[in-house]
Amino acid sequence: MTAEPAVVADGLGKIFRPPAELAEMLRGRFYGKPLEALSQVSFTVSSGEIVCVMGPNGAGKSTLVRILGGLLMPSSGSARVSGVDVVAGGADFRRRVAFVVGDERSFHYRVTGRANLHYFAALHGLSGSDARRRAGAVLERVGLAAAADRRYREYSRGMRQRLALARGLLADPEVLLLDEPTLGLDPRGARDLRAFLRDDVIRKTGRTAIVCSNDPTEAKAMADRVLFLDGGRLYADAPPERIEAELGL
Amino acid sequence: MNDLGWFGRIMWAFIRRELSALGGYRAAFVIRLLGVGLAIASTVFLSRFVGAVANPYLASYGGNYLGFMVLGLLAATFQQVGVSGLAQRIRTAQMMGTLEAEIATPAPPWMVLGGPPMYEFGAAALRSAAYLCAATLMLGLDLGRANWLSLALAVPLIIAAFSGLGLLAAGTTMLVRKMNPVAMVIGSLSFFLSGVLYPVSVLPGWLRALAQLLPLTHALAVLRGALLVGASPAALARSFVALIIFAGVLAPVGAAVFAYALRRARIDGSLSHY
Repeated sequence: MTAEPAVVADGLGKIFRPPAELAEMLRGRFYGKPLEALSQVSFTVSSGEIVCVMGPNGAGKSTLVRILGGLLMPSSGSARVSGVDVVAGGADFRRRVAFVVGDERSFHYRVTGRANLHYFAALHGLSGSDARRRAGAVLERVGLAAAADRRYREYSRGMRQRLALARGLLADPEVLLLDEPTLGLDPRGARDLRAFLRDDVIRKTGRTAIVCSNDPTEAKAMADRVLFLDGGRLYADAPPERIEAELGL
Repeated sequence: MNDLGWFGRIMWAFIRRELSALGGYRAAFVIRLLGVGLAIASTVFLSRFVGAVANPYLASYGGNYLGFMVLGLLAATFQQVGVSGLAQRIRTAQMMGTLEAEIATPAPPWMVLGGPPMYEFGAAALRSAAYLCAATLMLGLDLGRANWLSLALAVPLIIAAFSGLGLLAAGTTMLVRKMNPVAMVIGSLSFFLSGVLYPVSVLPGWLRALAQLLPLTHALAVLRGALLVGASPAALARSFVALIIFAGVLAPVGAAVFAYALRRARIDGSLSHY
């Protein structure tokens, strides 16, 4: 008997219906033109594998990882992550799956990195002492121990990305969903963070990871396999060596 | 660990984070204190002005305009916190970008979103108690006849009714993704009709009937009755029944609208933008 893959996507589709303009609403139409962000996307990711999702802006990468993270409901198809249906979700699902978004706005600017993590640790259900210990451990792990008591607004871009990663590691998840983890970093910072993610955070712990990126260097450095999206459709599933050919570079 | 214990941890972490952030808002804190001072001064002068003449409309409140006005303003503020707290929290979290990251944690949405309004309710309750103490000690507000049992029974009902309105307001804000229409309508109507600064009895009959449809009207009747003239729960039965109905209807309806709005946000992808 073979183990179930860590991630299974089966015919995933997503259609957004933006709210209509006021003039349209007055005519009784409450939604604008539907926008198909994903269409019939199917793939699997084995346990311990690192898969990169590549494609131009608007290809549907972020939509895909948000669906896999249970933050967005698919319009069609289904997906299971760590054996759990993403629509059913639930607390256990969100402990096993961490969605790491490098969005700078997702932390409180006026408090320290450590205080930010303590709050998220409480959302994970950790008690005060466990939260302090776990936050300290993940801050150490991502190399922010020395800067933990500085206010978030004083952090550099790279430090903010690392703090987002530390937040993702609070619950020791089985699957990491990373949306452009090195976006905006300088080349050296990006290289170091990639190596740290690949070696320390993923490989050493046997985690599974799906990484969205536009950067061929990143995909080559991290991925075992690359999924190529364009216009919401999955058009190739290939090894990293095929990146240039698939992207037409 | 049960849900209440978990929620307690979230509340404690939230309060610690807010207190830690206060260090960065010193100017705003000072301005707020100044605002409170000016509000108290205005209250003193207005009560001197209105209280200077015997007013038949105030007879049922012991002729005490200072107490009448202080309780009116405190209850209106309390309602404002209840109705706007959760909606404001969602709006801020969406704009700051924290909402998606918080919803991605194992905590159920009610815990993620419930903490800040609870904090605001707590802060409003402390502020109200401080105002009442100040009004008693410095302005001569007489609460010697207060019926504390009536007050103890009223407060949970008032919080439940205002929280129901808050859930309704928050759900509507998420659905329309704009300002808080429920808070605006309820806030304006309540200030006008519920008897915040003047008794409902001065209104024409049809407006008095309309005022009965607002929870603040009954909250004020109970609070003023309990604190100013020492009315017993039996004497306030009519307002208590109204508050029970408001709490019983608004809380489940508000929760249903809010749950629907959250589900819509997961469909529309609007958790991370406003």
